[in-house]
Amino acid sequence: MADQQFDSALDLLRRLNPRDTKKNLNAINSIIPELQEDLLSSVDQPLEVRRCPQTNRDYLLCDYNRDGDSYRSPWSNEFDPPLEDGTVPSEKVRKLEVAANEAFDVYRELYYEGGVGSVYFWDLDDGFAGVVLLKKGVTPGSQSSGEWDSIHVFEATDRARSSHYKLTSTVILHLAKQSDALGDMDLSGNMTRQIEADLPVEQGDASHIANVGRLVEDMELKMRNLLQEVYFGKAKDVVGELRSLAPLSETNRDRAAQLEMIKSMQK
Amino acid sequence: MYTLCPVVLWTVVMLPRWVFSARSSPRGLPIVVSSSSSNSNSSPPPILHSAALLTCGMSTTIEHASAFIEGAPPGELADVVADVQALTSEEGDIIPSLAPAFERYNEAQLTTVKLPGSSQEVQFNKVEGNRYFDPESQTSFEIDHITQTASAAQSAPLESQNADLIKSLIKSLGVHAREHYPSCSYGVYPTENDSAVAILLVANRYSPNNFWNGRFRAIYQVPVSSSSTSINGNIHVDVHYYEDGNVSLNTTKPIALSVPSISAESIISRIATAERDYQEELNRAFVAMAEGTFKGLRRQLPITRQKVEWEKVGGYRLGQDISGGKGR
Repeated sequence: MADQQFDSALDLLRRLNPRDTKKNLNAINSIIPELQEDLLSSVDQPLEVRRCPQTNRDYLLCDYNRDGDSYRSPWSNEFDPPLEDGTVPSEKVRKLEVAANEAFDVYRELYYEGGVGSVYFWDLDDGFAGVVLLKKGVTPGSQSSGEWDSIHVFEATDRARSSHYKLTSTVILHLAKQSDALGDMDLSGNMTRQIEADLPVEQGDASHIANVGRLVEDMELKMRNLLQEVYFGKAKDVVGELRSLAPLSETNRDRAAQLEMIKSMQK
Repeated sequence: MYTLCPVVLWTVVMLPRWVFSARSSPRGLPIVVSSSSSNSNSSPPPILHSAALLTCGMSTTIEHASAFIEGAPPGELADVVADVQALTSEEGDIIPSLAPAFERYNEAQLTTVKLPGSSQEVQFNKVEGNRYFDPESQTSFEIDHITQTASAAQSAPLESQNADLIKSLIKSLGVHAREHYPSCSYGVYPTENDSAVAILLVANRYSPNNFWNGRFRAIYQVPVSSSSTSINGNIHVDVHYYEDGNVSLNTTKPIALSVPSISAESIISRIATAERDYQEELNRAFVAMAEGTFKGLRRQLPITRQKVEWEKVGGYRLGQDISGGKGR
């Protein structure tokens, strides 16, 4: 029963307006509190930003740097509000995490030219896992706005001279535009993709950073193209399916003439 | 020829006494059209709020479930209902308690149903309670909002001082609809104590096998007093795409037009122009979003046109040239 309810909750959230995911998640949790933990770790929501009191740098909040009501800053490794015994990565994995944050900070600047990023790692029995978060909002003119949230969760499992990487990536993209001629237009949502790869680890930790970096970089390029296609191609095409700008009688006449021509050529 | 144009069916349309009282959809979009008729024995139907039906324990669940129903995207009401049933199975069958939410969904989304004994689908035009009216066939019928079915048809005469205008509008609207909406239904109804007419059009395209559904709604009101020459209303476009994700387009465009005269031809002609202008504006907005906002969020490639040289960034820089150009 619980499994079926969990699937139904995910199906519902996939159907209802993606702008309302947070509100709908809270509603489902109030109906079935038992699903809350599983849903919170399976449903991606726009990331919240917090400032690290130690370093004065912004970082992103997610389920993976949360312990109770506190969140761990990737810059200081400290929890806010402070925790005596908050869960932190092992020394080795924290070292990797620091390096990954440095590397993805460069990546963020090159691709996003702003925004906020955070990388969190944690230990696994046979490797490690992590999440790469990137967020940027823009308001070009007061009448339009956009917000991008990338959430890349991966596991790296040790193999002989390589590692097996499994990456699940979600991009949440909200766009809105308003004007007298247009009225209100909201184009929002999220898309998720997965990939697995075996990659050599010949330079130790440096290889891990490079492997994860390339996987995320390639995935984001793919997803950016996909989002572009769905948001500005597919959605626009469906509007065209609902309403034809050209009179249908002309379209039908042209189509009939075309069929006629094809038929006569086949004779 | 008719078989090629399913829309032809829609030239037979319903005239309502009561159209819908002004309401908001769950996404807060304003929905127009309020009405009352000159017919004496009908009074406005009470608007049911789910809150009025609630007892304390179930109240929150019914409130949330109602919001889910009203938020169902085009063509996916049955899927949302199935999810709601699974999520509330421990409470017994709560679906009957959600009838007011189904009613609000059906009226806001311009749901169409088939008349008993006919293959025609008609829009909702409320008389009172769950009874709706089809002036063309001079019948009224009961709607089951949950199953979206019609029954108990009765003969019911239409009385409107604007009957001639309404008939001409239906004709002109039909010509316009067939030219631009491959699959749609529409109606023209007396409203506001018979002092105005409401013009409604809804076009649905569902393609669940390809994970997309869409709905176009246009709702206009035209006051028919001697001096007035205005058309007011809203166009809503909702598109849902949900293959490996959930992407939603929701638009609302308020329409305010003036017409040279209250004639069917001039009214429909102004509406046709406004709808065309809006679709063109919407198409331009897709391009502007893609070229502007979207590009401003994330570059396709860094300004150097080079991908990141991961071996050279971060705390684990390797000896300069060992892997810089090696690629994957």
